[in-house]
This record gives sequence, structure tokens and C-alpha cells, in this order.
Amino acid sequence: MNFKYVWIVLKKELKDIIRDKKTILSNILIPIILMPVLFSVMGGGIKKLEKDMSENITVAVSEKSNDENVKKILQDEIFAQNQNIVLQGVVKDPVEAVRNGEVRFVVEVEPDFEQKLKQGKPFEINFIYNHSDTKANGSFQILMQAVEQYKQKVIMQRLQAQGIDPEILQPVVVKQTNAADEKKSGNMMLMMILPLLVAIIIASGGIPAATDLVAGERERGTFEPLLTTRPDRMSILLGKYFAVTLFSFVGLISQFTGMFIAVKMNPQIMGFGASGEMGGIYIPLPALLLSILILAALGMVFAGIQLALSTYAKSFKEAQTYMSFLIFAAMVPAYATMMMQPEDFQTFMFAIPLLNAIASFKTILGNVINYTNLFIALASSVGYVIISLIFSASLFNKEKVLFRS
Amino acid sequence: MIKLKSLSKSFGEIEAVKNLCFEVNKGEILGLLGENGAGKTTTLRMLATMLKPTSGTAEMGGYDIVKDAEKVRSIIGILFGGETGLYDRLTVAENIAYFAELNDMPKYEIKRRVEHLAEIFGMKEYINLRASKLSKGMKQKAAFARAIVHDPEIMLFDEPTSGLDVGAIRDVHDFIRTCKDEGKTIIFSSHSMSEVEKLCDRIAVIHKGALVDIGAIEELKNKYGNENLEEIFLGLVGGKNEF
Repeated sequence: MNFKYVWIVLKKELKDIIRDKKTILSNILIPIILMPVLFSVMGGGIKKLEKDMSENITVAVSEKSNDENVKKILQDEIFAQNQNIVLQGVVKDPVEAVRNGEVRFVVEVEPDFEQKLKQGKPFEINFIYNHSDTKANGSFQILMQAVEQYKQKVIMQRLQAQGIDPEILQPVVVKQTNAADEKKSGNMMLMMILPLLVAIIIASGGIPAATDLVAGERERGTFEPLLTTRPDRMSILLGKYFAVTLFSFVGLISQFTGMFIAVKMNPQIMGFGASGEMGGIYIPLPALLLSILILAALGMVFAGIQLALSTYAKSFKEAQTYMSFLIFAAMVPAYATMMMQPEDFQTFMFAIPLLNAIASFKTILGNVINYTNLFIALASSVGYVIISLIFSASLFNKEKVLFRS
Repeated sequence: MIKLKSLSKSFGEIEAVKNLCFEVNKGEILGLLGENGAGKTTTLRMLATMLKPTSGTAEMGGYDIVKDAEKVRSIIGILFGGETGLYDRLTVAENIAYFAELNDMPKYEIKRRVEHLAEIFGMKEYINLRASKLSKGMKQKAAFARAIVHDPEIMLFDEPTSGLDVGAIRDVHDFIRTCKDEGKTIIFSSHSMSEVEKLCDRIAVIHKGALVDIGAIEELKNKYGNENLEEIFLGLVGGKNEF
């Protein structure tokens, strides 16, 4: 192997890739543009959903409960504090009215509610709504809060009427203190999403280049002349290998750039549905460097496998099919660990390919940094880089594979 | 000079090339004649060090194809038939320069050589155009230039005219003659009798991987008492042909 030839091949491959508009578009420009657009659409959708849930909550009374006193207690007492709950007419068939979307809720109140209220007995309120409707489910929480406030108010009145201190109902006052590291809770969403994204992007980032650099070359007839030039096969392979690795990192950077712009434009998207909001990332420098090295090693492992698959494939299309399996293979550990907490990762997991990078990334983002585990991840990753390269080189040197058609 | 010494190649059970022994003298064109699947491409791939012989070896310009593979590659040029094998996204100059760099030529020499080749092949107008923009004929010339950019002493042509039109075939023939005039040693594989007769000093007929006969065209005609090379060939390979 001669590094002079590796450099010549690498330079040429990079020039070739940079001039491939299709690859540049799909791997660099689209992620940068698509992510912000996608997040804007999603952010807009979420905003609209939140607005629809909390505003104009339409409630009708059923014909059974069509009574002025019922309307009065609903309007003046239960929903009095919520301007966004709109009491809207009477419906004959509550289920049909909800299903047709005429109203979001139909309410039925026990006919003898006033009597029961006076007697200090509970009365029943039945809310009829579509349980499979996201908006209705969200709005129901607001209705329940209104009912809860009314309940508290009645309890207070009853206790005061009997000269009892309301504190009697509170033998214990519960207080909560958040013991979680502030930095950690700030990274909750990132901990869930980033390792998954990184694994998938790294597994897929080098695919266009790897497919083109061996299977593509062979199909276009440029491969055989290349093999008759002075460099040995290992130099040619390494030149291509570094080009694929570099390209997969450029893909990763553009994906992150797109995501960064997207989150900056729509900060609410990361906080939606999570207890913790997206905060700043606090990673100690040594851990950051280690994570970059582990990530680089993961990229190199995939580059080796991708080049091996591209070498093995008989055609460009066959190579693309093999590569898609590779993405699925990366998705399995990525999704399997999505809900795992940084504390859940055991030491042996830091030695399993791909899982080691995900575990490292998660623990670093979760600020549960264990340098021994990180070094195990790095050392095992380097081992996998070597194995993937040996695998790739062995196929690249196999006549049967190289010249099969 | 090229010397084949019991060169053999098997792919599993199949013996693609059997015990080939012959020599090609410096400045000579040897036509490698055989049907499809006779072992011509496998032989040339072994001589170009792309495939390793199962047994035997060959010497190319004094270098052994097994022991000195890198040196062998530095003194050979190759031209394949069918696809010209240019990188579409590189310019003609970049395509040629890439192969020059890979063959260890110094930068100043590469520039001079590319300019020279552009001149002799009439490529000046499109030397800085990307290969994807070129016609088939232009690509053909660029492939010629690339094959000889490092001034190899041995040229291997593997059915270089397959799939080409009459004009392009003539260009290939002219190129082979130019190589001969420059004193290069040439092996030219083909299954076309007429072009072999037109270009080659000697021919080697191979059938099912084995050498059937070798000699100058006139020699073979006298030996078999027949002026028709096609009939001689058919007689040698058993009368079955794919022409």
C-alpha cells in the first residue's frame, strides 16, 4: 500500500462526487432545506392542534338535559372560568352530533342534580365525545379541569357551611423537588432522537458514494482500466474508502445543519409532548472529543461495509438493494434503545457494534458519563473499523467477486 | 518483449486458460484469435496482473506478472472494447491526467504530455470538456490517449473494435499502427479475421483455453495450404464458429 496513490484516488473521487449534482442534491442540499421545511410544517401543525384543543371547545346539551337550570349551572358555574368553552345549543342524537363533528362534546346532567346538590350528594355529568379524536381528548382535559375547579368550590362551600376548616381535607401536603441534573433534563428529547438519527444518517450517508465508487465504476467500464494502473488494490480501495467516509460525514453535517436551522426556526417542536424542554447541550470537552471519535469510527465501519457490498454486487441496482438492508440493520438497535435511559446501558453494550456508539452518545447527552465505558466503545469501534476494512479488502482482492457478472 | 511460460488459469472446475507458451517480440503485433469464451480476455487479464495465474507465469518487459505485478502495470497500456471507460464527470484532460498520476508521472510532465496527446489525437477543442458531453468517437480518442499517457512499452488490446462503427474501427486500427510505429509490443485479441490479417505480424489461435497454433499469417497459409484465414481458423477450432 502506498499513501501517495491513496491520496490520488481520494482526490479524484472527491472531485467526481462533488460534480455529481444528483448526489450533492440528495445528500447535502435537500437535508439542509428539507429539515426546516418539514419542521415548519410540523410546527405549524402542532401549533394549530394546540390552538384547536384549547380554543372554541364546543359543548352542546342533550335533549334529555335541555333545561334552563342545567344550562345555568354549566354556563355560570362549571364553565364560568373558561371563556374558550362555548355552550352551543341542544342536540337530539348526541352520538351522531359528535361523530358528524357538529360539536366536540355533548353533556348530560342528571335531572335531579339540584336536589342532590342541596342534599350534599354527588350528581352525575356525562360527557359524550369521540375518544379517538386527538383534539377532543386534548379538550377533555380542559373540561375536566373546569369540573375539578367547580368540585373544589362546592366542597369549600359545604365545609364552611358546617364550620369545618377546609384544611381537614389535607392531612398531607405533597411537595416535589426535582433531583434530576438540570443539564440532563434539558437534553431529554435530544437523548431520544439524536442517537437514532445519527445511527441512521451514518448508515445511509455514504451509500450514494459507495454504490457509485465500485459497482457504478464496474458498470460504466472504468474499473478495469483503473486496476491496470500502477497502484496496488489496497491503495485504490483505501482512496475510495476515505472518500465514502468523508462523504458520509458531510451528509451527517448537512443533516445536522438542517436540523439546527429547523429547531432554531421552530423551537416548540422539540419540546412538544415531553416533560423537559430542549435546552442547551452541556458536554465536557473530553467526552465530546471521545464521542466525535466514536462517531468517526462508526462512519468508517459503515464505509467499509458499504464498499464491501458495492464490490460484491453484480450491478449498481444490486448494490442499492444490499445498501437498503444495511439501513434496516442500523435501525434495529437505534429504535430498540430509543426509550432506554442513559443509566440503563450496561458495560458490555459498549462493545457491541453500533450499540456502542448509540450508548456512548446517549450517556454523553444524558450527562451520565463513564469514561471507562467510552474508552471501551472507542476501542471496540476501532476493532470493528479494522474488521470491516479487512472484510472489504478481502472482497476487493477476490477475483471471483471482482470479475463476476 | 512478452514471454508466456505455461500460463494457466482455472475458475473452480473450469480450465479457462491451459498451459499457454509463446513469445511476442519487441515492436511486434501478435493477434490473439479465438471464439467467444476461448480464453482471450482471461489471458490478457492475467498479463495485465488483474487475475493471478493458477499455474505458470509470464514475463512482460522482463518483469514477472506474479512477482513484479506493480512494475508490470507501470509498463503496460490497455484498451478494452465496448465501453471506453472514461469518468463522465471529469474532463478529458482530467481523465488522462488521473491515469498519468496513477502511473507515477511528475506533474510538469503530465501537463506537457496531455497537451501533446491532445495535439496528436486532435482533441484540443474538447480537451477541457467533461467526458459526458463527448461523442463516442471523441471518447474513443480520449481512451487512446489515456491508455498511452505514460508511454507504455507494451499495449494490450482486448477486442477494442467490438460494437464500433466503421469510422471508429478505422481509428482503432490507426491507433494500433501508431503504437507499432513507436516500437511498442502489442497483443491484440479479436475474433475478426479481416482485422487480424490487416494488422498483425503473427497470430496465435486459441481454442478452449489452449494454444492451437501460432505463426506468421503467410506461414500459416503455406502450412495449411489455404489462402483463406477464416477457413484455416475454422479448421483449427473444429469447424464450429460463432462468426
